[in-house]
Amino acid sequence: MSAVARKSFNWRRWRLVVTGGAIVGVILFLAVFAPVISPYSPIDLDVTQMLRGPSAAHLLGTDELGRDVLSRVIHAARLSMMVAILASLIGLVFGTIIGTLAAYFGGAVDLVLMRLMEILFSFPAILLAIVLMASLGTSILNAMIAIGIIFIPGFARLARASAESVLRQQYVEQARAIGMSHFRIVTREILPNIVAPLLVEAAVAFSYAVLLESALSFLGLGAQPPDPSWGNMLNTGRGFMAQAPWLSLAPGAAIFLTVLGFNMLGDGLRDAFDPHLRDE
Amino acid sequence: MRNLILSRLLAFALTLLVASSILFVAINVVPGSAARSALGIDATPQALARFEALHGLDRPLVVQYADWLGRTFTGDFGKSFQNGVDVGPELLRRIPVTLELAILAFLIANVIAIPLGAFAAMRHQRIPDKSISFIATLLGAMPNFWLATLLVMVLTLRFRLLPPGGYTPFFDNPILNLKQMIMPALSLGIVSSALLIRIMRTAMIEVLSSDYIRTARAKGAQERVVMLRHAVRNALAPYVNVAAVEFGFLFGSVVIIEDIFLLPGIGSFVLVGIINRDYPVLLASALTITLVVLIINFIVDIAVGLIDPRRVTRHR
Amino acid sequence: MSEPRPHARNRERPALAIRGLTVDFKRRGGDLRAVDQVSLDVWPKEIVGVIGESGSGKTMTALSAMRLLPYGAKVSGTIELGGRDILSLDEAGMRGLRGDRIVLIPQDALQALNPTMPVGRQVGEPYEFHRKLSWRRAAEKVIDLLRAVKIADPEIRAREYPHQFSGGMQQRAMIATGLALDPELIIADEPTTALDVTVQARILKLLREIRDQRGSAIMFITHELGIVAELCDWVYVMNGGRVVEDGPVARIFGAPRADYTRMLLAATPSIHKRKERPR
Repeated sequence: MSAVARKSFNWRRWRLVVTGGAIVGVILFLAVFAPVISPYSPIDLDVTQMLRGPSAAHLLGTDELGRDVLSRVIHAARLSMMVAILASLIGLVFGTIIGTLAAYFGGAVDLVLMRLMEILFSFPAILLAIVLMASLGTSILNAMIAIGIIFIPGFARLARASAESVLRQQYVEQARAIGMSHFRIVTREILPNIVAPLLVEAAVAFSYAVLLESALSFLGLGAQPPDPSWGNMLNTGRGFMAQAPWLSLAPGAAIFLTVLGFNMLGDGLRDAFDPHLRDE
Repeated sequence: MRNLILSRLLAFALTLLVASSILFVAINVVPGSAARSALGIDATPQALARFEALHGLDRPLVVQYADWLGRTFTGDFGKSFQNGVDVGPELLRRIPVTLELAILAFLIANVIAIPLGAFAAMRHQRIPDKSISFIATLLGAMPNFWLATLLVMVLTLRFRLLPPGGYTPFFDNPILNLKQMIMPALSLGIVSSALLIRIMRTAMIEVLSSDYIRTARAKGAQERVVMLRHAVRNALAPYVNVAAVEFGFLFGSVVIIEDIFLLPGIGSFVLVGIINRDYPVLLASALTITLVVLIINFIVDIAVGLIDPRRVTRHR
Repeated sequence: MSEPRPHARNRERPALAIRGLTVDFKRRGGDLRAVDQVSLDVWPKEIVGVIGESGSGKTMTALSAMRLLPYGAKVSGTIELGGRDILSLDEAGMRGLRGDRIVLIPQDALQALNPTMPVGRQVGEPYEFHRKLSWRRAAEKVIDLLRAVKIADPEIRAREYPHQFSGGMQQRAMIATGLALDPELIIADEPTTALDVTVQARILKLLREIRDQRGSAIMFITHELGIVAELCDWVYVMNGGRVVEDGPVARIFGAPRADYTRMLLAATPSIHKRKERPR
């Protein structure tokens, strides 16, 4: 049977990445330019404007202390992004180090390290996050660290698997043969080749970080008032469900959209990197 | 086979030990002294010191750990710092609540995921598949605590159908119990189903491209028979593997949901422990949840190991 | 086609009559024609060989006769099974024929068997689907069938799972499934390709016996010329979705008319053939 060549750029394949990327782009934009874009300050009270519904002056209404919800949501985006980026970075860096070392040195090192990762991995994430927050003390920085720690096993596992397959290739043998130092081999030969799957994992980690951070803030273990976080906004909103539903809808929708965006980006990247044989 | 079970059992015990020590260390490093939390801000230094001595908090960590380990093995989970009540019995009272929630949520997740995933696979690449996959993507991005809030807004506030929280044991009042459990279970189950839909779909797609499906059709089987007897049955094997692990994750998520719906389960007990700096409570409940998850993983490991030898020979 | 066809003598119509069959698949760049105006007959008690390389359209032709083409195939032409117009049947009607009047023996028996179901149950499914027998009552017939295809200890084997059978036994089990209801036409799609030579010989012998004893017509698809020479009465040569030539097996191998046939024969080392005449 004759094959048919594909001529135009395959938009279909990149559809998820583009959509996800667009959403992520918007969120990042909001996060970076928060002070500039927000119509009001997120912490300014206005007792005359408590619990007002969405209006021209306040697009998403006001909360129980008269603060503008839209501004708070935008600033919370900044918080979420910071936590997500730093936590993912911690997970990525330490996880990659551990995983690569385990794959490279093998033997006892591999066994001990990966066992430890496995054990860490078997804790339910939210539970571990809560316990770590209780342990470290509730603050945004600690939330980043706690979530970062939770990500380490996942990245370590992935890094190890990727590194293993790279290690089996010829060029690593050659590098060893010409006497390259361990460090050089790892940085020059191994790392560049495991970047792709790690990036995909990072995108997924981002979304999970946003989810975890919101969950922690919801429980009062993350960002503390008056700092706005989607999680703690959702928590206070619960007290006013009947009179002011927008207090619960806005931050929740923000979390949802952010997680969705990063998920789509991650899925899209994963699909795009995999050779797709299923196209009919 | 015995060797498999034995080695897994050993791994399980080891994991449990390490996990418990991690929890123990994490919790006992909690800043803000437990004593202060229990006795109040006005407590005198002597009262604090007496408290700490009483509960052995001034001893080296390793000693405390060994002591705790020993006691836990004999079933003594200590007494709450807050009110001196035995933690063990309270834990036992709370377990059924969490179990009911987790099982209901898991059931909901599977009832949604298995048919939808199978159907999506049967209509692969066509509209039903794309819609179901899209919905799964959306559901998976939902924070379960937001879904919970939305459910309460609609079902409690708007339609006055269900109570917003609280718990009555099933055997006291089954109808009320289910009414109280349905929203919590939905919040957890619907979000979990997102992943499971994908897993079932992938498993079915894999199965549907197998030769034995074509053979079944070649024998003149009706679609229903082909799907149920040949396709779904074979897809369930890899599915159950992942689903069981997902049950473990679900179990971890009960903490937030129990808090929202005021369910007196182990999850909310964890929060009680944190807020009150009540070490024994926190430790015992966190460990219980972890234990359940580890047990589930252990069972799955064994089950996979048992099923495997049957399908071993000559796989593509 | 003026060559005499022994199996057509004294018969009203062929077991299978394909006329002008064309199968197209929708592809993004343009349609893909897998089968191009193929006409093919199989007469009762005849073993017809269909040879060609992979991609020649032979499997698609067979699947068209069973109406088991993958989703998205466009079919035109006519196919008659013992006089019935296959292509115009509704699905329920076709379902009634599959496994009963027309059966398929696939290439890889292990893949064609459901790994989580006992072999006996699978062999008995035609009875379930077409004779409405519960599988307990079909069990006896299944054991007879397994014995007919020379599987030892059929009572025990029926309860076993596919992976416990050897390759040859698996293929026999597939044949047993095909035989269950005495079909008019057996389509064998490279049934011996995955087996080693000695096992192959026994399977071929079995098929010949089935033809002799039960009178089924057999359509044997393969790319191995040696088998065709040994087993078949009439041969169709296919290439690129078309029938290049057809005729009695002796004539095809002895005096091939099409270039493609000649090329195929030349590429195969162990066939008796006349030396190619220099052009």
